[in-house]
Amino acid sequence: MFALVCFSINLYICRKPCEHDRARLSATENNPVSFHVSASSPGGVTLLPPCTDQRTDTCPYVVSPLLPSISDLHSFSILTLSLCHSPSLPVLTSRFLPDYISGDFDSITAEVKAFYADKGCRLMETADQDLTDYTKCLAIMLEEIRTQKLQVDTIVTLGGLAGRLDQTMASVETLFHALSMTQLPVLIIQEASLAYLLKPGNHRLRVNTGLEGEWCSLIPVGGPCQTITTGLKWNLNDQVLQFGKLVSTSNTYEPTAPGKPRKPVTVTTDQPLLWSMGILIDGK
Amino acid sequence: MNEEWTPLDCLLPSGKQRICLIILNQPLDKNHLHVLWSKALLRACADGAANQLYNITAGDRDKFLPDYISGDFDSITAEVKAFYADKGCRLMETADQDLTDYTKCLAIMLEEIRTQKLQVDTIVTLGGLAGRLDQTMASVETLFHALSMTQLPVLIIQEASLAYLLKPGNHRLRVNTGLEGEWCSLIPVGGPCQTITTGLKWNLNDQVLQFGKLVSTSNTYEPTAPGKPRKPVTVTTDQPLLWSMGILIDGK
Repeated sequence: MFALVCFSINLYICRKPCEHDRARLSATENNPVSFHVSASSPGGVTLLPPCTDQRTDTCPYVVSPLLPSISDLHSFSILTLSLCHSPSLPVLTSRFLPDYISGDFDSITAEVKAFYADKGCRLMETADQDLTDYTKCLAIMLEEIRTQKLQVDTIVTLGGLAGRLDQTMASVETLFHALSMTQLPVLIIQEASLAYLLKPGNHRLRVNTGLEGEWCSLIPVGGPCQTITTGLKWNLNDQVLQFGKLVSTSNTYEPTAPGKPRKPVTVTTDQPLLWSMGILIDGK
Repeated sequence: MNEEWTPLDCLLPSGKQRICLIILNQPLDKNHLHVLWSKALLRACADGAANQLYNITAGDRDKFLPDYISGDFDSITAEVKAFYADKGCRLMETADQDLTDYTKCLAIMLEEIRTQKLQVDTIVTLGGLAGRLDQTMASVETLFHALSMTQLPVLIIQEASLAYLLKPGNHRLRVNTGLEGEWCSLIPVGGPCQTITTGLKWNLNDQVLQFGKLVSTSNTYEPTAPGKPRKPVTVTTDQPLLWSMGILIDGK
C-alpha cells in the first residue's frame, strides 16, 4: 500500500485509452480518453483539452505504468492542479480528488482552490517559511497515516526532479529530512527518473520488475560516503564516493545470463547516499 | 576571486566577457544558442549534442558548425557525424570510461585555448541540468573537476537555470543584467560549507549549509528602493558551493 504526493511542476500524465475509458465515456461523447498535462500555465499544471493524438511518443506517461490503477491508491494528495474547461473532464477528475491540498497557497489558482474546496478536499495552509511545501506536505501525510492508523509501506512522490535546479535540490533536501521524520521509504518519481535516499546501513534493492531503465547511479549529495556495492556493472569496493573525487553516474546492472533474473543490488553506506535509477517509458 | 563577476553577462548581447561554448546533449533553447554562439571564440559539442545542434539549426546549418565534436560517439547518429565531418569539423573520439563526455570535452576546450593562445573569460555550457537525474549530478561533478582543471569560471545554463560552482574563498556576483529571474540558491552539494553572504533576501550569517540541516533554495535578492540597482551578492565559503539562479525567459 502506498500514499501518493504529487508535485505540480512538469508533470506528465497520459494514459493509453483502455476499455473502461471507452465504455464510461461513450455517453459523454467527447472522446477524451487521453489528455496532456502541461506546466505552461502560471499556477502550475494544466490539463489541456483532451488530445485526439493517440501516439504515445507525443504523450509520455509516468503514472500509468507504475500504478496498478488509480482506484487502488489508499489515499493521495495533489499539491497543485488547475483545470481547463472541458465538458468531458469532470468525468475523469471526479476520480482524482485529493484527500488534502497543503502549502502556502501562493501557486494554486483561485479557481482550482474553489473547485477542490467545493468537492470537500481539505485545504491546509502551512505558512512556515523555513520548510518547503513538499516537506510540510510530507509531515501532514505522516500525521494522517498515524491518525488513521494506516498500514503503509512506501510514500511515493510524483514530480520534484525537474524544472528549476534549486527545486530539484530542495526535493533531495526533503528526502534528507524524511530520514528523521519516518521509517517509511520516501521516493520521488518524475518522468524517467526515480530518486531514493539510502540511509546509513545495508540495503538490498530488487530491480526485476521489468520497469527498470538501463541506468542507475549513487550520488553522495550531502558529503562523502564509504560505499560497498554488489549487483552493479561497476561496483564500489569499499570506496569513498564524493563530489570532486568519485561519483557513480551512468552505472548499470550486472549483466546476467539470458533468461536469468537480475541479482538484487546491495549497497552499504556510512552516510545518506542518493540512489537514482531510470524508469522504462514506453519500453525504452 | 575577489573582483566582481557577472554570471549572466554571457547572455547579454552587449556583454563584455569573451566566452567559449560547450554544448551538451539536451534540448537546446534557440535564443540561448544564438546569443552564445555568436559571441563564442570556440564552440564544441559533446557527443549527442551534435544531434541537438543539427536538428535545431535546420536550414542554417552552415552557420553553426562546431570547431570540434568530442565524446565516445555512442549518441551521435551516423548521419549527423557524417554531415559535420564532411564540413571539416574535427571529430575527437575520447574513450575514457572514467570521465564523462562533458569532462573530456572541457579538457579539450582548455587545451585548444592554450594552444591557440586565446584570451577567454568564461566557459559557458549549454545543457546538462535537466533530463536524467544522474546526468544532472554528473554535470555538477564536472564543475568540481573544473576547479582543478582551470582558473576560468565554468558555468552551465539550461532553460531558466544557471549553475556555477563557487570555489572556496570570496565571491562578488553582479546580478543587474536585467536577465536575472526571481530566485537564487546556494546548494552545498558535496559537503558542508561555512557560509557568509550579503545581497540576498535571506543571508547566511556564518552558518553551515549542509544537506539534512540547511540548504538555501528559493532564495531571492535583497529588495532595493525603486529605480536603484541591485547590490552585488557576496558569498564567502570554505568549501566548493553551488550557486544557482533563475534566468528570465521571455520576460518571465
